[in-house]
Amino acid sequence: MAIVVRLDVELAKRKMSVGEFAEKVGLTPANVAVLKNGRAKAVRFSTLEAMCRVLGCQPGDLLEWVED
Amino acid sequence: MVTGHRVVLPLRLFLVLLFGVLVVFQVLSLPGQFAHMARENPDLAHLRWPATAVTVFWLLCVQVVIVAIWRLLTLVKRDRIFSEASLVWVDVIVGAIAAAWLALAGVFLFVGFSAHDPGLPLVLFLLLIGVTVLGLLMLVMRALLRQATTLRTDMDAVI
Repeated sequence: MAIVVRLDVELAKRKMSVGEFAEKVGLTPANVAVLKNGRAKAVRFSTLEAMCRVLGCQPGDLLEWVED
Repeated sequence: MVTGHRVVLPLRLFLVLLFGVLVVFQVLSLPGQFAHMARENPDLAHLRWPATAVTVFWLLCVQVVIVAIWRLLTLVKRDRIFSEASLVWVDVIVGAIAAAWLALAGVFLFVGFSAHDPGLPLVLFLLLIGVTVLGLLMLVMRALLRQATTLRTDMDAVI
């Protein structure tokens, strides 16, 4: 997948655990793992919004395009 | 979706009822009817067992469809109707309709060539058209189910 979710970087910056993040965003830890591992195929705007709100960042900080 | 779930139980009751009536027809009414007709018309007595076999087979096809509908309703209740599992049972329904159609077409041709008055061939022709429409309709529904399953699978991958 050419789109990478830079979730681990943002979590590390804020020293936030996956469990805490999942709870604050309202996702299952399994889905957070899917996002972190780059296996996600699609993300709702509402999910993206919740992640940005919890992390205090922009969508561009979370999503990155890389050449295959 | 809620209305759909409420219909499942009465539908199942009537499916059981229909299945039971069909069994009565299969084991009692139809064999008795054709035995009676063979006694009334001795010149047509040779048709007794083929006619019994074909009509019992048609009812068997309907019973297969009933069982398949029952399984599909189970999937509806579990909210798993838009999955690969339901396509198997839709295929069973299509197969049963196709088998009944082939037998009906054979009987229609046989009766059509040997009948002296147009009554029975016309009724069989009507039935043949009806079963054809039903079968083609099931193929359209099958395609719709496949589309919905693909959409559901895509939506499930969205986080």
